[in-house]
Amino acid sequence: MTQDNLSPKLYPAFREGIIILAVALFIAVVFNSLRFNGIPLFGFSSAALIKEQQAKIPEISLWEAYDLYLKNKVIFIDARDPLSFKDGHIIGAINIYPDEASLHASSLKIKADQGFIFITYCDGPQCPLSKETAHALILRGIPTVKILVNGWGIWLKAGYPVSKGKK
Amino acid sequence: MKLRNFPRPFIPPFALICRLTLAIIFFYAGIEKIINPRDFAVAIYNYQLLPDCTINLSAIFLPWLEVLIAVSLVSGIYTRGAALLSALLFLTFATALTINLVRGLDISCGCFGASSGNISWFYLARDLSLFCLSVFVLIYDRGWRYFFA
Repeated sequence: MTQDNLSPKLYPAFREGIIILAVALFIAVVFNSLRFNGIPLFGFSSAALIKEQQAKIPEISLWEAYDLYLKNKVIFIDARDPLSFKDGHIIGAINIYPDEASLHASSLKIKADQGFIFITYCDGPQCPLSKETAHALILRGIPTVKILVNGWGIWLKAGYPVSKGKK
Repeated sequence: MKLRNFPRPFIPPFALICRLTLAIIFFYAGIEKIINPRDFAVAIYNYQLLPDCTINLSAIFLPWLEVLIAVSLVSGIYTRGAALLSALLFLTFATALTINLVRGLDISCGCFGASSGNISWFYLARDLSLFCLSVFVLIYDRGWRYFFA
């Protein structure tokens, strides 16, 4: 394409682009100030985020977890991938991979208000997924999240109830 | 010879398909990010390219820019501007992805909000393909008038 053909298309494109940018900025700022979960325009603090992410999440023992399960006061959160979850998981567990925490935050908050405790688990003593999901949930305002280290392995070994499938 | 102009009639419909494809992608990406601005701010932070003071503003502004680009592309209003912005956005995303892939960071793409996968060379190829679609729309799109006038 020659310079003569391209120029008449590019100049209006720049003008139109600037208008779209300005309108988008206006709508974004107004919408953010009106919405209930808006964020401050310039208030991002990486130091606060790092502090939040490094906060120690309490661990729970298998016995305590099982006790809470018997009292029906706990919701298990399986942080493993969906295929592993489908193959087998703690009975009644919800599958929440760390990236998906925000999708479940509102429904879990309702459960938290009803007094439920959340226990995240994955497979293996070094598995980071349960910790990552727990951090992601705490970051989204879910209180009382605990980690059952090597949860799937020790639960299965103890012969406690498990189920298969997507639910 | 008429045969020499054979591909010509197919260019406007193809540009239309490209335009609508881009619109769907932008709309979906924008809405997902608008729902969770905080998550998107964290995703931007993870790229480690912007100073803290600009992260929230970008997280608020970018999703709406994507939605407006989608609206422009569908409606045919300011299509060239939207196509130009689309090309620039994909180029920016591709650059950010490349830098972090080279750095070796294993971070969430953030491309479609919270449920995106981690960055990979596939995402870079996807961004570059979408960049090409945007440039094609910018050059060849004729708007709705071409089909209905």
